[in-house]
Amino acid sequence: MLYRQRLLDLPHGELQTPVLFPVRNLGKRSSDNTPEYISSIPDLPTAMINVRAIRERDPMWDRLTNGVSLREEMEVPDDTIVYADSGGYDFSEKDPDTTPQETLETQRLLEADIFGTVDIPLSRENRSAENQRRIDRSIDLALEASTHHDGDELLLASVHGYDPETIRNGIRYLERRGEFDGYALGSLVPVRTDYEKVTKLVLAARTATDKHLHVYGLGGLVYQPLLLYLGVDSFDSSAFIRSAGNRNYLLPGFGGEELWNIDDLEYLPCPCPVCGSRTLDDIREDRDALVVHNLWALTTELRRFRYVASAGRDIEDYLDLRFQGNEVTQRAYRIAKQQVRRLT
Amino acid sequence: MSEAFDISDQAQDYNRFGLDGNPFPYSPVPAENPETYCGQEHATTTISSTVSKTLSTGKSKHLVITGKYGNGKSHTLKYTRSLLRDRDDIIVGYVAQPGEGFVDIYHEFMYDLGFAEVQNIAYEFLASVARDVTETNPVSGSAMRSLIDEGDVLLSEIVPEAIKRLSDITRFADFARAIIHMVYEDTNLYAWQWLTAEGIRYEQRKEMEIHTALDDDTMGVRAFTAFKNMLLELGYTAVFVFIDEFESIARLSSKDEQATLNSIRHLMDQNSEGLCLLFGCAPEVWQDVMSEYHAFSERIGQEVALRPLTNEHLYELVEEYLNRERATEESGIHPFTADGLDMILQRSQGNIRQVLSVCSRLLDAAAQAQRSEITAEFIEESI
Repeated sequence: MLYRQRLLDLPHGELQTPVLFPVRNLGKRSSDNTPEYISSIPDLPTAMINVRAIRERDPMWDRLTNGVSLREEMEVPDDTIVYADSGGYDFSEKDPDTTPQETLETQRLLEADIFGTVDIPLSRENRSAENQRRIDRSIDLALEASTHHDGDELLLASVHGYDPETIRNGIRYLERRGEFDGYALGSLVPVRTDYEKVTKLVLAARTATDKHLHVYGLGGLVYQPLLLYLGVDSFDSSAFIRSAGNRNYLLPGFGGEELWNIDDLEYLPCPCPVCGSRTLDDIREDRDALVVHNLWALTTELRRFRYVASAGRDIEDYLDLRFQGNEVTQRAYRIAKQQVRRLT
Repeated sequence: MSEAFDISDQAQDYNRFGLDGNPFPYSPVPAENPETYCGQEHATTTISSTVSKTLSTGKSKHLVITGKYGNGKSHTLKYTRSLLRDRDDIIVGYVAQPGEGFVDIYHEFMYDLGFAEVQNIAYEFLASVARDVTETNPVSGSAMRSLIDEGDVLLSEIVPEAIKRLSDITRFADFARAIIHMVYEDTNLYAWQWLTAEGIRYEQRKEMEIHTALDDDTMGVRAFTAFKNMLLELGYTAVFVFIDEFESIARLSSKDEQATLNSIRHLMDQNSEGLCLLFGCAPEVWQDVMSEYHAFSERIGQEVALRPLTNEHLYELVEEYLNRERATEESGIHPFTADGLDMILQRSQGNIRQVLSVCSRLLDAAAQAQRSEITAEFIEESI
């Protein structure tokens, strides 16, 4: 079992890992309409933001460059831990329109605690040669960021690849040539339904470095237990917002359920502060309530895992139970278990 | 419980002969890596000449070794292979029998090389690229593997260049991709299956961006030629292919036989350099090939026939085998007597397989009968 807990000392405070970074859509078209969750979910003082999106949104950028802090803009406390991702997915069709230095400057201006390096994501639709070029380019951009970074913030190099060798090789190459506090595995969202592949890639990254490991975009209900089992330190997810948009109600152990499938219940089964005292109809009509509930669901998933580990219960037994309902994820977990047992 | 059988694991005692064990095989099949070879000087001279010409000039040269069943064709091929295997500038593969067509020969050849060897060659090719495009200087496949594992070389930097170069060298982009995929743990088994012409599913090919199936003789010739050209580019002198039991092509339909011979002919035509084919074939089948398929047989040019053992060779052979298990400094043919060996030669008609089989049985019989010598008289009684 590779699950581990660490304490990160960051510019805005200490952070217990493993931890989820909820993705905020700050700077995007529907700019930050995420309901308030920091403080109300005590173990989630975190947020993932997209540097490029913020920079591209002129009015917001003007405010931020004229003295308004990011945390004021987000209306969150000063001790909120912010992970600033470079916004690589916006470069999926083209080369980056920013430089590592420019991105670092923006990340510093926003007073982020964790910096992600500029990267160009892969796609399964790309020819292999094109993906290799992107991997190569992302490595160069990470090394350039390493040259320019000298602050207390964590610098996580973005690493891409669709095979374990490339991941291991990329991390070790960066380790030899740059100064990074950890690594962030990207490009997994397009292959997220291939659980076996994702599992192997994460494990390749975990075995290549003992430093902080973040996984981009896979912090949903199904992946969380797998990532925790594989020793991932942090992950992010926008599933709580996207699901709420589709009136999808997340529940640990059950996945998502569309609320219009449920008719004759007065109260939903979750005891979270949102659902505990509100009726199904109230929640159905209130998107913000659903967003917060979904975030509680993701947090509960993480809490459960922490509880199982802390209580000294057999985590593999828990995961056997957790994945028994789905053949695909069950197979992925079995493969992960075999590989992990070989390592430990 | 039935007592019809008397089964025991008690070893026979050969001390009375000054031997630690019975040196002759119970089942006289050629060893994978034979250590002894005796007799057949004319054959060894011809084989040495063929092999040496290829090694010294780099030009292709081919030879057929004929001989009746049991006269040592397989042993000769395997012995030659064991001599060549120690050289690191050549690749040698043994094909036990030609199967149904050239694609089967190609398959057996690749299998004889083995997964690890082909993977190492893939790393060697990456090393040649890394030497050019990076500041590193890997001198072998294993050095290249270490550089990748340790992160000294970036895979994404060298792989596209390696595929491009290998496609140019082999003029077979799918082959180039399959070779490079040998270094990826997720796909190396698919790549191996494709490279050995075992056939893989479309989705597996797609994952490696391989567009064609390697499933017929034409593709087999193409892949083999690509492989050989890659090896020559890497500095190897030649590729040796030993095809045993070539007579089994006579079992094929006339059409398939002709197709197989044509494919081998194409292979020879496309590889005027760096290829040495040695065939082991029963003489009667080779006669038919000579008379019916000129285009093929003329390209081989040379034939050498293995002869039955002579008296002198038999003595030498028996002595060599006995020396393997000698407990003392003694040498010679004891416990066999001269008249005993003469009788063995007469009974076996100089067929090496029969000689070994008979010697093995006689030694056991003599040990059981507590005889100290194996004479003609004893042989007469025992056989």
